[in-house]
Amino acid sequence: MTIPGFVLRNAFRNKRRLVLTVLSVALSLFLFTLLQTALRELTQPAQTEESALRIVVRHKVSLGNVLPVKHQARIERIPGVRTCMKLTWFGGIYKDPKDFFPQFAVDADKIADIFAEARFDPQEVADFQKDRAGCIVGIKTMERFGWKVGDRITLQGTIWPCNPELTIRGVYRGGIDETNLFFHHEYMDELCGKLGLCGTFWIRADNTDVIPSLIERIDATFANTDAETKTETERAFVLEFVSMIGNVKLLIGSICSVIVFTMILVTASTMSMAIRERSREIAILKAIGFDGWQIFGLLLAESFGLAMVGGFLGCFGAWFGTWALFQHVNITTISNGMFIKFEVTPHIVVSGLLIAIVLGLVSCIAPAWSSVRMSVVAGLKELD
Amino acid sequence: MTIPLRYNLRNLVVRWRLTLATMLGIALVVAVFIMIMALARGLKATYISTGDPRNLLVLRKGSTAESSSQITRNEVRLIRYLDGIARDDSGEPLASPEILVLINLDRRDRKGTANVLVRGIGPVGLRLRTKVRVIEGRMFQPGLRECVVSRKIAERFAHCRVGEQFRTGRTLWRVVGIFDAAKTAYESEIWVDADEARAAFKRNFYGSILIRPVEDSVTVATMIKRMEADKQLSIRVLPEVEYYKEQTKTATPIQWLGSVLAVVMSIGAAFSAMNTMYAAVSARTREIGTLRVLGFRRRHIYLSFLLESVILALLGGVLGCLLSLPLNGIATGTMSWTTFSEVAFEFRITPELLANGMAFALVMGGLGGLLPARLAASKPVLDALRSV
Repeated sequence: MTIPGFVLRNAFRNKRRLVLTVLSVALSLFLFTLLQTALRELTQPAQTEESALRIVVRHKVSLGNVLPVKHQARIERIPGVRTCMKLTWFGGIYKDPKDFFPQFAVDADKIADIFAEARFDPQEVADFQKDRAGCIVGIKTMERFGWKVGDRITLQGTIWPCNPELTIRGVYRGGIDETNLFFHHEYMDELCGKLGLCGTFWIRADNTDVIPSLIERIDATFANTDAETKTETERAFVLEFVSMIGNVKLLIGSICSVIVFTMILVTASTMSMAIRERSREIAILKAIGFDGWQIFGLLLAESFGLAMVGGFLGCFGAWFGTWALFQHVNITTISNGMFIKFEVTPHIVVSGLLIAIVLGLVSCIAPAWSSVRMSVVAGLKELD
Repeated sequence: MTIPLRYNLRNLVVRWRLTLATMLGIALVVAVFIMIMALARGLKATYISTGDPRNLLVLRKGSTAESSSQITRNEVRLIRYLDGIARDDSGEPLASPEILVLINLDRRDRKGTANVLVRGIGPVGLRLRTKVRVIEGRMFQPGLRECVVSRKIAERFAHCRVGEQFRTGRTLWRVVGIFDAAKTAYESEIWVDADEARAAFKRNFYGSILIRPVEDSVTVATMIKRMEADKQLSIRVLPEVEYYKEQTKTATPIQWLGSVLAVVMSIGAAFSAMNTMYAAVSARTREIGTLRVLGFRRRHIYLSFLLESVILALLGGVLGCLLSLPLNGIATGTMSWTTFSEVAFEFRITPELLANGMAFALVMGGLGGLLPARLAASKPVLDALRSV
């Protein structure tokens, strides 16, 4: 009999126990993978080459305060600013408050330049720009409500006192978030009575080097005015939102460590059961000439294999499971807009597998060590 | 005649290593479940305890949040002197025109900033909220740029102690008092004079009006109907408690997280209980045979093993509850999706929640013990006796 064959035989000596242990390791790592994915999605907003060029200007008091539109002309004159676009959170209701999706009033002629990583159809963008009551919608929201280009929808304003009636002129795909709806800022201004206000300005800088000085220049321009600004990179802007959800890192981190700890506990107790019932055999192996380290290696291989099978099942199960699930349901809808992609990355899978490796090593050390050290005579005397 | 409980207990003690590992596994699952549910519970309790059942909140028609609603000064004038609004001893209507402004403040530990709500209240605003008391310093004086902050805000944000000042925009606000809001949502707010707030934040309108109808004049429902039907007003009127109850939906994602985690983790823990019980059955095969010879029936054996598994899980459950208890009352915060501001709340572990945790443990023990117990009960007597 070969050595791997021997290890395999031993592993399958109690099939029920093996299956139960592998499944509990798999379940734990499945959860671990999902939690890490959630954590990543919440704390590390996707960063692309394009998004690194974007900076956001908001009112210094808070996002809840609006800025005068006349700031725009002054920002555009600052060197290093390629495009400056008004972007205002509309927050309207489509049919029912449950049908929530983000809506923004924007400068129609600048949207494709600001959100350059999204894929727009040039013809549709032109149609959108021509129609003052037009809008352009992310593919996920289009699919969610079964909309087609040309459909008409009405939004009921909750923050702004108007109910825009919009015609869908185009669809965009890709980019940071495929659920947004963009419509003309001028149309909103007109409906609300030309308030001359907007929520934020989104700027595309010429290059990343100018960003730090640009941020300083913009805030300095409006210092000591009625509406002072706070300018920050898109990443900082998004992270501020995340920090308000609470200490997600601590919560998910502590849950993950509990899961890993429990998993080690379960696997270690399985391995100790498996090794202790074999004390006699180990004594016999020693008697016929295997030395302690060789036996230790055999036991290690067994627990390592067990942990890795569980690890593969769990991590790839989560990977494949989320992929298969998202073929049928929209993660943004079921999580109420909290998650947009929920993408299990190779990085997370690898860290799950690394934990499985550690698990395989740690869980057998104590019982294997004690049975390796046991004398042959004591081992042979053991009953079960 | 059933097998005495002591037999199971002593068996658990004899195999103490395995017992302990399984128990700990179950305990941790129960603790995680209770922890997350306590989070959701605390958040919900904050909103449910906010508001006075006697008060009505007036918002702009179509508005869902106070912070984005607008009530004109003319509307305020009309509403204040409507019939059916209670008056205090000096004849002043119990109606507080208010404005809610989101501001960005530095956290005390210098770890970034968070959004906080500043509420401008009318002269009777405090009287309409009996749960709120000033516990340190004094109330702000109308006409001055003074504010009172909640205790939680004073603890969590910089420059918010009595005597200190913080700046928003071009206004300096002096903190003159700290109030206690009895764990309601007001615990996350800063209160100032409504007219000062309008001037400082350049708002030409109010956000909402909180009113108290006369208790016996008309029923509240007809009062609401009458106000909303008024052609001069474009408003939405709802009981204050209802407005806050609506916001408990902030806790929904946490509850989801808790339930999903609990279910998946408990399956894992049930597997480990099953493993332990299978090991117990195979180690005691001879004992099972002996018990059968002594006259115990199959169902006694079955019950005995099932009971052992349940005891094991319940011990784990108790340990889990004990592990989670220190969390009770710990303060934390999250973002409200209605106002986009931080709402402070506490982990709240209730007896009901602990009972839920124990029920969870019971289910894990039951599921884990079912199959091993059946195996034990089905062993033929002679084979069992013969096994080593």
